[in-house]
Amino acid sequence: MSQTAVIVEKKETMSQQAIEKTEKPNSLWKRNSSWLIQTAIIIAPFILFGIFLTFYNVNPIELYRSMVATTFGSLYGFGEVLLKATPFVLTGLAAALPAKAGLVNVGGEGQLAIGALFATWFAVFYLDSMPAVIGIPIMLLAGALGGAAWASVVALLKVRGRLNETITSVLLNYVAVFIVGFFVHGMLKDPNSFNWPFSPEIAYSLRLPVINGTRLHIGFVIAIILAVVVWYVLAKTRLGYRIRVLGSNRLAAERAGMSINKMYFWVLLAAGALAGIAGMIEIAGIEGRLRTTVGTNFGYLGFLAAMMAWNHPLRLMATAFLLGMISVAGNKLEIFSGLPSSSVNILMALVLFFILGSGKLVKR
Amino acid sequence: MIADILTGAIRSGTSVMLASQGELVSERAGVINLGTEGSMLCGALGGFAVTVWSGNPWLGTLAGGICGLLISLIHAFLVLSCGANQLATGLTIMFFGMGVTAFFGKGFVSQQIVGFNPVPIPLLADIPYLGKILFNHDPLTYLSILLVPVLWYVIFRTRLGVILRAAGEREDVLFASGINPKLVRYLAVLTGGFLAGIGGVQLAVAYTHSWVENMVAGRGVVAVALVIFASWKPIKAMIGAYLFGAAQALQLTVQQQGMAISPYFLFMVPYVLTLVALLIVERRKQSQTPEALGKVLAGSG
Repeated sequence: MSQTAVIVEKKETMSQQAIEKTEKPNSLWKRNSSWLIQTAIIIAPFILFGIFLTFYNVNPIELYRSMVATTFGSLYGFGEVLLKATPFVLTGLAAALPAKAGLVNVGGEGQLAIGALFATWFAVFYLDSMPAVIGIPIMLLAGALGGAAWASVVALLKVRGRLNETITSVLLNYVAVFIVGFFVHGMLKDPNSFNWPFSPEIAYSLRLPVINGTRLHIGFVIAIILAVVVWYVLAKTRLGYRIRVLGSNRLAAERAGMSINKMYFWVLLAAGALAGIAGMIEIAGIEGRLRTTVGTNFGYLGFLAAMMAWNHPLRLMATAFLLGMISVAGNKLEIFSGLPSSSVNILMALVLFFILGSGKLVKR
Repeated sequence: MIADILTGAIRSGTSVMLASQGELVSERAGVINLGTEGSMLCGALGGFAVTVWSGNPWLGTLAGGICGLLISLIHAFLVLSCGANQLATGLTIMFFGMGVTAFFGKGFVSQQIVGFNPVPIPLLADIPYLGKILFNHDPLTYLSILLVPVLWYVIFRTRLGVILRAAGEREDVLFASGINPKLVRYLAVLTGGFLAGIGGVQLAVAYTHSWVENMVAGRGVVAVALVIFASWKPIKAMIGAYLFGAAQALQLTVQQQGMAISPYFLFMVPYVLTLVALLIVERRKQSQTPEALGKVLAGSG
């Protein structure tokens, strides 16, 4: 028994060396050139989208300039971008963490929605008169629990039913929105809402504290902490190492005696919890009450942010920030030129197309 | 009431059915395309827009098909020429489709069209009970029903079908016989996009006669799932699509009858049904998976 353990140990250290070899570029130049290519890949879609905008009589240079100016020009503007970026970091982690284990989780959308539902449920029914110090952490846990519970459906279908997690998680996103719809039309409906489908407002004490002079709440601190934690676990711990082995070579992981299904299961649950926290933050930080539209597209945008960051949790914060800037710019675009704010989704998809297409060029 | 549901099953299942037939061709060649959702959306909007402008739904159908095809071209290029991850690319295309159609569709939201309407087939439509269910549909639905046996014949009984399946199973065999497997895959993906686009047209121009933002609502993803459910067989995919359609028709019928079931439960039924169906067939389908596709689904493609 102990002998096999030793062998397993040996195999792990061997494959660890192998991983390190492939991960570290051997010269400084190589590292720099790959950075250059990556930057070029991010810039190219902006140029393309700029050309597209000129057809609609929008000056792209002016738009990009004002995008930068509003972001860095005032505390309020900077706060707005951080506010937008916060859920993208969390749903991005919900995609990046499973990606490291070789899973494609696109369920961030639904996991966020169910997390928001759980958080609201607890806030409305149990935490109404709680002080913030107790209420907010419980609400956070409820959100994480909701997200994890929803992800467990995908995880069970993957582990027990051997169903591909990409397809099931996308399908379940639609179901999740209907579940939220069911509750805000039924048990969670605000009795004073004149029949509008939304939940009662959560207690004021449960709202996340806001930084003076902005709308920014402390949710972004939670997001940053979680990103660092996920990075630390992935990069520095034994567990993270095992996850990476599983993602880069499933066969090696199997040979090393890891119980793959168990890892898939827990990784997906952790991802769901992260997205669920994003849902809680949306409720406690911005919305104040549950609607069916909570976090629409945030799951997909988080997935996008994760891909742009090559699934690296720390780089993810930068890409989420960039997507936050683009989202804020989208609102401006709508106000100043009458183009729908969703047009920036085209820009975001273009960015991803370039990243996907460049897979062969860049060493990951 | 049952007749209503069955009629509705065909009427609302046809868009999914067309898309799943297209996806089936693509997956037989070894490429899974979650961008089917995007192709359907662009097909729906393209078809609707051209129908509004020209007043001719057939022109709209052609335009919708071409829109779907162009979207799938992005998928084919990124996956086949750039070696991108199939699932991630497909999702991006889905997102792209939502963005593009929200952008260009804004002006079409409240537009009205005549579009396609049910045309009863003389004599056959007079058969009691069955006539109403089977022979009182729009022209696109009739065509889509004809498509299924044709597709079955092509895939399993012709040289073209062998080439298609070889691209998904053993591309070196294809290579050895002097055919470029990449080209075959390109054409398969484009065919899939074209059919998905027409599926979108059926939804917008024949079924709902309107354009609503994100109106496809996951039907493209369901189509992809159905192909797996159907073990890559056209006739089974058709049955699966009508099952999905029946679940949707059930929801409408129950609402009309005024039963006290939350509509949100009924909205879920088609999606949950798809998942359950996938789960049931999963056990026995392993050996039938096209080999190249199996790699993608297992996460190493």
